[in-house]
This record gives sequence, C-alpha cells and structure tokens, in this order.
Amino acid sequence: MLDDNVKNLAVEWCAGDDPNNIPKDYYCADRGEFGARIDNLSADLKSDTKMEEGDVYMIAAMAGEIGNNSFDHNIGNWPDAPGIFFGWSIDNNGARIVMADRGQGIMKTLRKVKPEISNHQEALKVAFFEKISGRAPENRGNGLKFVREGIKQMKIHLVFVSGDARAEINQEFKIGAANENIRGCLAIIEIKRDEN
Amino acid sequence: MKIFAAVWQLLKLKEMKIEIKKFGEMLISRPAGREAYLALSAYLTKGVDRQELLEIDFDGVKVLAPSWADEVITKLAQEFPNIKLLNTQNSTVQATLKTLREYSDLKI
Repeated sequence: MLDDNVKNLAVEWCAGDDPNNIPKDYYCADRGEFGARIDNLSADLKSDTKMEEGDVYMIAAMAGEIGNNSFDHNIGNWPDAPGIFFGWSIDNNGARIVMADRGQGIMKTLRKVKPEISNHQEALKVAFFEKISGRAPENRGNGLKFVREGIKQMKIHLVFVSGDARAEINQEFKIGAANENIRGCLAIIEIKRDEN
Repeated sequence: MKIFAAVWQLLKLKEMKIEIKKFGEMLISRPAGREAYLALSAYLTKGVDRQELLEIDFDGVKVLAPSWADEVITKLAQEFPNIKLLNTQNSTVQATLKTLREYSDLKI
C-alpha cells in the first residue's frame, strides 16, 4: 500500500471549504515555484526509486503538463485560491505524485468551446481524447492526451478527478463517479514498486 | 543546363542548427516555450532564408513536454519546410513529437 497522507491533504484542500487549508510545503503559488519543484521530484525519483532515468523524465513531463494546465486555464480566473498543491511520497511500495487545484475544473473550461458538454464525466472523456482546446482560438490542448499515452506506455496508474467525475487510466480508461466533489482538478500518479 | 542549375541550388542550400539544450534541460511550460520561440526568432532565425535546411538538435535535453514543444517545434515547422531532427532518442522527446504529430499537425 502506498502512503495516503499526501493524497488526503490534497483532497482536504481541493474538496474542502477553506481555500487556505493547504500545507506550505505542498503549495506552488506560481509556475516558477512549480517548475523548481518538478526538478526536486525528478531528483527524488532518481535517488529513492529504481526507476530508469528515461522513466523519471517521462513522469516529470507528465506532471509538468498536468500542473501547468492548472495555471494555463485558471490564470486571472481562480475562484478563490490561486496556485496548486504539488506533493509526492516515495517508499518501499513505490511512489505517488499528487497535484490539485481549486480552479474552474475541466467541465467549465471546456464548455467555453463545447457548450453541449452536459456533465463532468463527459468533460473528462473529451479532455483526454478529443482534439480540443479550452483556450480556443489558440491551438492547444494536447497535454492530457500526452499524459494518457505516457501512463499507458509506462504501465503505471493515473487517477484524475474533476467535479464529481473520476477517470482511472492505466492500460484502460474508465470513467465513473468520484467519492468527493473536487472544486477544480485532482490528479494522482501512482508507480507501484513491482511495476518498475 | 538543368543539371548545373540543380547543383547550383544544392550548393546554395545552407544549414542552420538550433541546439534546444541552450534553452534548458527541462522544457515544460507554454509560456517558457513562447519566450524561447520569441528569442530564437529575434536572434537565430531572423533573416534566415526559409528554404534553408534547419537542424533541430535535442542532444542534452532531459525533459521535453508537448506544451513547450508546441510553441517552438510546431511553429518552426510551419515556418521552415526543410527541417531535420537530430538526437531524438530521449523518451520525452519521442513521446512529445508523437503527440504533436497526432494533435498539432506537426509534419516532421
């Protein structure tokens, strides 16, 4: 079993009422801070796991895409707390990387370009599969497709929650109801020891 | 005469190399990519003949994410029809190029 502590702190923050309830150690107020912590994550994965260097860099790239999405789609428009939660735990069972925000969420972001999206589950499916950008007319929106492919290729796990929808990605892609209502987005990458 | 003209064209074809590692080893966000593209447009590719062969070298790059690359590689490919990619063995470079080809119409 992977350590649940970091995950629980992230859920408490992005599902709770208090926008200030975020431990300082896990808070990235801006992209600069987030970028610096990506370097720290890479260093920790290299020193504390047996992952190959190429896999460590793929994890860093995927975490970078997820975290930067939060900034890209909420800049100047954060509902209450700007910035993201970014933490990880590494132990004998593997590694878990957690990112969360209290932003607009996937559905509200994508409805700006695709108003017919009717619920959070549909929004997650569109975000991970369709060629669409929440910041149209800018041509972008390839980050989560890259993440989905990377997770599959590395045979690891990603749980992505937004609103009341939860996507679980490994070799398959499953969408269902989340246990908690997440205000923005919550992403958890899990690398179990026996998978590497 | 046609042969001489073709040889002359070949001799005229110059090369230019952009070393991506000069922008950093961890290339992740769109704003950073946009800044890199603006800088190279001002200092490296300004005034360069669009028919020149442009070599993009990924040697030394540790992390290349599609957001950064979409702002640089995709835009360079739209400007320069003759591009050669060098040292693309890194797993993030491979995965990012695949994503851009599939979702950003990158034609390299």
